Amino acid sequence: MNVTALVKYVPEPQGTPTLGHDNLLIRSGVDGALDPGDEYGLELALQLAEASGGQVHVVSMGPDEAMAAVQRALAMGAASGLLVTDPKLRGADALVTARVLAAAIARTPADLIVAGAESTDGYTGTVPVTVAEMLGIDSVTAVRRLEAVADGFRIERQTEAGYDVIACPSPAVVTVTAGATEPRYPSLKGIMAAKSKPVERVDAADLGVTDLAATQSVTQVTDSPAKAGGEIVQAGDEAVAKIADLLAEAGVI
Amino acid sequence: MGAVWVYAEVTPEGPHPAALELLTKARRIGEDVAAVALGPGAGAAADELGRYGAATVYASEDPVFADHPGRPAAHVLASLTADHAPSLILFAGTYGSRDVAGRLQARTGSTLMANATDVLAPDRARTEIFGGTKIVDVTLAGPEPRLVLVRPKATAAEPSGGTATVVAVAVDVPADARGARIVERHEEAASGPNLDEARVVISGGRGLGGPDAFAMLDELATTVGGAVGASRAAVDAGWVPYAYQIGQTGKTVKPDVYLAVGISGALQHITGMKGAKRIVAINKDADAPIMKIADVGVIGDLFSFIPALTQEVRRRAAS
Amino acid sequence: MSAALLAVVLAAAIAVFARRSHARVTLLREARPAPRTEDIIRRARRELVQVLGQRKLFRKAVPGLMHAFIFWGFLVLFPTIVEAMLAIVDEDRTLPIIGQAPWFLFTVDLFAALVVVGVTIAFVIRKVQRPDRFRGSHMQEADRILLTILAIVGSLLLWNASRIALGLSEHPQAQPLSNALSSLFAGGAATEVAERVLVWSHLLIVLAFLTYLPKSKHLHIITAAPNVFFAKNGPSGRLEPQRIDLEAAEEDMRFGVATAEDLSRKQLLDLFSCTECGRCQEVCPAWNTGKPLSPKLLIMDLRDHVVARAAAPSGEVQLQPPLVPNAVTDEVVWDCVTCGACMQECPVDIEHVDTIVDLRRNLVMAESRFPTEAGAMLRGIEGPSENPWGQPSDARTEWIGDLDVRVLQPGDKPPEYLFWVGCAGAFDDRAKKTTQSVARLLNAARVDWAVLGPRERCTGDPARRMGHEYLFQMLAEQNAETFDDAGIVKVVATCAHCFNTLSNEYPDYGAHLEVVHHTELLSHLIGEGRLSPAGAPIGSVTYHDACYLGRHNGRFDAPRDVLAAGGAVAVEMPRNREGSFCCGAGGARMWMEEGGDQRINDTRFAEAEATGAETLAVACPYCFVMLDDAAKGKGSDVRVADIATLLAEATLGEGVSPPRRVPGSTDPWTNLEDSFGRTADS
Repeated sequence: MNVTALVKYVPEPQGTPTLGHDNLLIRSGVDGALDPGDEYGLELALQLAEASGGQVHVVSMGPDEAMAAVQRALAMGAASGLLVTDPKLRGADALVTARVLAAAIARTPADLIVAGAESTDGYTGTVPVTVAEMLGIDSVTAVRRLEAVADGFRIERQTEAGYDVIACPSPAVVTVTAGATEPRYPSLKGIMAAKSKPVERVDAADLGVTDLAATQSVTQVTDSPAKAGGEIVQAGDEAVAKIADLLAEAGVI
Repeated sequence: MGAVWVYAEVTPEGPHPAALELLTKARRIGEDVAAVALGPGAGAAADELGRYGAATVYASEDPVFADHPGRPAAHVLASLTADHAPSLILFAGTYGSRDVAGRLQARTGSTLMANATDVLAPDRARTEIFGGTKIVDVTLAGPEPRLVLVRPKATAAEPSGGTATVVAVAVDVPADARGARIVERHEEAASGPNLDEARVVISGGRGLGGPDAFAMLDELATTVGGAVGASRAAVDAGWVPYAYQIGQTGKTVKPDVYLAVGISGALQHITGMKGAKRIVAINKDADAPIMKIADVGVIGDLFSFIPALTQEVRRRAAS
Repeated sequence: MSAALLAVVLAAAIAVFARRSHARVTLLREARPAPRTEDIIRRARRELVQVLGQRKLFRKAVPGLMHAFIFWGFLVLFPTIVEAMLAIVDEDRTLPIIGQAPWFLFTVDLFAALVVVGVTIAFVIRKVQRPDRFRGSHMQEADRILLTILAIVGSLLLWNASRIALGLSEHPQAQPLSNALSSLFAGGAATEVAERVLVWSHLLIVLAFLTYLPKSKHLHIITAAPNVFFAKNGPSGRLEPQRIDLEAAEEDMRFGVATAEDLSRKQLLDLFSCTECGRCQEVCPAWNTGKPLSPKLLIMDLRDHVVARAAAPSGEVQLQPPLVPNAVTDEVVWDCVTCGACMQECPVDIEHVDTIVDLRRNLVMAESRFPTEAGAMLRGIEGPSENPWGQPSDARTEWIGDLDVRVLQPGDKPPEYLFWVGCAGAFDDRAKKTTQSVARLLNAARVDWAVLGPRERCTGDPARRMGHEYLFQMLAEQNAETFDDAGIVKVVATCAHCFNTLSNEYPDYGAHLEVVHHTELLSHLIGEGRLSPAGAPIGSVTYHDACYLGRHNGRFDAPRDVLAAGGAVAVEMPRNREGSFCCGAGGARMWMEEGGDQRINDTRFAEAEATGAETLAVACPYCFVMLDDAAKGKGSDVRVADIATLLAEATLGEGVSPPRRVPGSTDPWTNLEDSFGRTADS
């Protein structure tokens, strides 16, 4: 089974992110890494490919530095990679990103496409599903277990109440939740081998994606009043209400 | 200006509470408000959707929407959109709605904004970044309808007392556009979700004083559908097994809410949970290191606070 | 005729010896050379003191004496073998010049007696006392060797006795023991036969012993001396670098030690020198807390594996099985805290820790096979954050708060002392207190100092001890560049691991710094009168020697001097100075989960608590965290604090504030907490 894994290069996940003068997140020129959330999907991909004698191909979109994310994926065991890098794609929104990724994925046939559940910097969580629609294939999100079966995949999908078991035909796009797998640590041998694995570098034009118009613009950024730091409250009825509110806000009650 | 629509998740038990919040919001920004309810229970839900502001409810009871996540709903929503041309569609920020919105975006070629905390106009929404310290106002452009995923509880639901006209939707989802099929449904109320995947994690530390207090955390966890974790101190003391350990040498979790109960917040613990979206700490000590990263720090006796919180959550869930 | 027979026997013995040695000699010859030839004088001196002087053996008085008797006896009695051969050819022949000298005859008798005493003591130790350090050792083989030694000197004494009986000795009074034994012989023809039998027996036993040596642990009598000679000259805390060049050809790549073929000549010599004495096992923190790691058993298992492979029939190129898990298990390799107590005790200078790290190098770099929980630490260090906890670099200056601290910017004039805060000192709440105390003290003493702030990155010590040599190399090179760019010469560090790495290991990467530990600098400042601890005295204290400061680098006095200057009443733990018992965090174990019956830190803390001291003083953030965790786990009242904080309190009167009420509590006499966040019932 051949699997394509989507990986994203995100700025230092623990550092203080900054906005550029155009109110877009500064992604290039800062230290970054392969999004830890993507590693769970990548690990699943590697396990599936290893079990079936197939290969993992990684696809990423980002600035030049994003090659580091692709290299890391190769070091973990992916066989080949493709990086879409283009200054015109700076600040691309979910739709443009989906178009680019769909075109990039289409270049290499795969039985399964995996992605992380949501990126550490963007949190949108919808791009993989949009890509699936563009490719005309099925999708299952919030996957915590996946097995290849005769006519596709048997998937356990996380839900608010627990989990569903889903029968999904192949090919499909899945997003994998954190903790679904234990991502492997690449060995030095893997890192060395990564250097000689084939990686393609393309831009938007190569993929035939021309409609890059931004459809969202940030009009202003202000400091949030309540959230300058944490707040301290004394235990009591008010505190109980406050925490219950917080839980409700999170959609848990 | 076109209508403002709300994609309402429905089940035989009624509409998802988020739908009512979204309708309340929709009424404030648009004159013409409609809801789309697809799946068993849609008809019954229409009354309540109407009461909260939907003038029209496009409904279908077809089980295909319950059995196949995302794809059929997106397909039908796409054709409804083509027919009626709304300006804006609001979605709840749930797993299910995200799937629909994401697929719809591919069909409509319009913009999608996620994690909105407020919608100010059919073409303007608001969100927070950098851990909630910055508020960002965004203008939505491009073809209509614009799609916005709204965070739960961003608005309080308020009925307007109206009634909805139900429009039956013809469902013609071709077999190859149905997609993946739900084969089994499991509820994990008793055992709780997996620590790695839980949306709420309630962790106990040295402050619990012993293994018995973890029963208190279990109860709260069951009530909120969360999982129980522990700091290394509690594991080392033998109060809970290593599988509960969160931290540098244990699990790393990224729940929506992390409750650190009786945990001082040593660095090696913090590394395992600092990715949580909201952090609440309950501790006797206002100077405990955990307070520095908590969004809300509750200073006091955890043995009275936790049961009180559990009670309050139960009360709200019942009402 | 005798001469011819002797020649044949000798030739046969030598031939057998050579054949039995062949396998091991070949192994040594084909092994990777890793020559250590610098500073020959130092090596020679060590040889004299340790081998000739038996110094390390005397760390245990009675066993030391036992071994010294046998060893010195061996040296002194060596000429008697030649004498025996001469006498076989012609019974009147003795050694030229000295053969009949009274002093020589007496010396032989004396040392033969001492050997007998030594062997007797050895049997008493092994059979009566039965120390636990022999658990796992081959006792029967040792018994055979001891009995053979007894037979050698016994036959020598009896032979001398028979010679006296035959009147062949010119000064029988100079041979009291042999003389006494001579009464066993009547003289005459029977004794003549006895004398021939005895001289031949003596020689044959010696030759048999010689041929037995190559395949026994007693081979140490040949290998120990060179092993000591080629031991590390410098501090034991310094690991030898292994340069990793990812651009190099794959055939030339080696990551640590995977199979027996990867072991160096010195490492093989280590394996052949082990006498299974168990002194290392006795002091190992892992073994002492119920873990399967014993340094002795590790060396024995590696040796047995290597020897078994060598004995296997050669032919086609054999794929050597990996040492881990075939010779030793993964668990055993990861249990090690790299404290070096084993190497400290080993009388033949085996370097257990270096071999363990070499095994780890292969496991981590080539196979990516290590305790998964340590992965978080590796990712933290290699990722953009460059520290084990994955904290953002710009948070490295959070500890500063209101303190007057100079953060060195690029292009600034370098300070006299760069205070290397380290990752723990910047991010860990307990260690931050140490950092702040040091800052206050340095300011009070008007030292010209500064910190690098966000330009600091992990020294790489945890990565290196874990075996990720490549990651360490990258960090060392980057840090060396930072030091160079900033013009840094002198560095003061509060972490014993940073101190060891910057001082001993960074020169291999181009950073030549003068590194002091903060206790040394503070001691110096006190000595110069720039700090005067005149406040409340520290009180009763026991000091825990950090392995990477004490044992590995010989720094024991400065911390004690600082405490004394601060008015401390010091109580020593039973295991102190180089005998200190590790806190359990070394060898990157701080980042791993611990198994076994007890935790190493709990064991050490119990020892500290038993001294009755109110305060447990530490000099390293790892020790601080481990021992403080142990204290909290036990609910103990013993305060764990760094020496800098104790000194700051005694000097500047800071850090200790009056007890403060916990908000919300109504009882004024309970729920009081001190400034370290502990309440009476926490």
